[in-house]
Amino acid sequence: MTAASYVPPNVLPPLLQKFAPLLKRKWFRELVLMPPTLTRRRFSNKTEDYGVFQPSQIASIGQLSIYVQDIERSRRWYEQLGGLRHSRTCEQESHPFKPGWSIRCCYMSAAEHEECLVLVEECDPDGKVTVPSGMSFFHTAFELEGNRLEDVLAFSDQAKNAGFSRNYGPVRHNSEPPLGDGETGGNVACYFYDPDYHNVEFCGAMDTIENYRARYGETKGSARA
Amino acid sequence: MNVHVEKPHIAAAKLQHHVIYVSDLKRSKDFYMKLFELQFSALNHPDSSAAMRLSNQEMHFFSFGFYHHDLCLVKHHKLKMDNNSMLHFTLMAHDKAAFDGIRARATAMGIPVRDGRLIASAKTSPGQRAFCLQDPDRHWIEIIEEQRR
Repeated sequence: MTAASYVPPNVLPPLLQKFAPLLKRKWFRELVLMPPTLTRRRFSNKTEDYGVFQPSQIASIGQLSIYVQDIERSRRWYEQLGGLRHSRTCEQESHPFKPGWSIRCCYMSAAEHEECLVLVEECDPDGKVTVPSGMSFFHTAFELEGNRLEDVLAFSDQAKNAGFSRNYGPVRHNSEPPLGDGETGGNVACYFYDPDYHNVEFCGAMDTIENYRARYGETKGSARA
Repeated sequence: MNVHVEKPHIAAAKLQHHVIYVSDLKRSKDFYMKLFELQFSALNHPDSSAAMRLSNQEMHFFSFGFYHHDLCLVKHHKLKMDNNSMLHFTLMAHDKAAFDGIRARATAMGIPVRDGRLIASAKTSPGQRAFCLQDPDRHWIEIIEEQRR
């Protein structure tokens, strides 16, 4: 099949992608945040002020299913960039909640996560594959093997050398130079658009209760504003 | 795109976090915190984050208790979200008690539930329980009881 070349409205244009690394410069972030600074509306993210890191009812995200226009094209992308492996592709089946519609599913596995991703071709009652809108999720994230800063940087180089274009990164989602972009979470990350413009993050070294406190001690977010 | 690599040296280990669009942050935040007891871990707002200011977005981060964030809710202040790029996502309940607790809270909140897995071709281990429901923006969420090995 020939996939339609629809670009969702939330996709970062190539020109802006070239300027995105400026977010790693503090002067640039300060410039962008000047209006709320001058009007005294600015605040810190105050991550460590929230009551987090208690046991939860939920252990993990088990699976994600996303619409794609062409399973084979998307499968190759996830195999070649992310190293995911193909588990199985199923025959056409009824759509779970749209009467008269159908889906075809391709199950992909990561190194430590069986069938974590389902690539879904959705067909309308006329058999036409739908075009994903790009407006259901902002991005989804895979943790990389090794889970260290060095692993993400090596992955980023590996992807670049293989011909994949990042739309953002590598960055670290904190305020520490040279990679910090002023965001929160501490994860080192690089982002890519898949063939349907789903934004996919590959990351590692996200903050946990242990390493967050190792970095900041008991310093409250308000003290780091 | 010209791709040369057959098998990457460094590969994805697992799906780690997911960031969904919502239309009303307060409504969705109340829903996820009440139903799943997720913990609010951070806020990226156009008045606190340069990236959010440039992208016209606001992001609320939630933790499952180990990582800084596992599920995030994002409101785009210019664009309208929809359900046309994601079929569903699955949350793994820690154990039997967690699964039953979520199910009981869903009933108490008046949320319609659908038994079993959402996609017919999805695998289910013997004895493993699952049900599905929709969040306030009609995102489909599947809840599965994690089985102890």
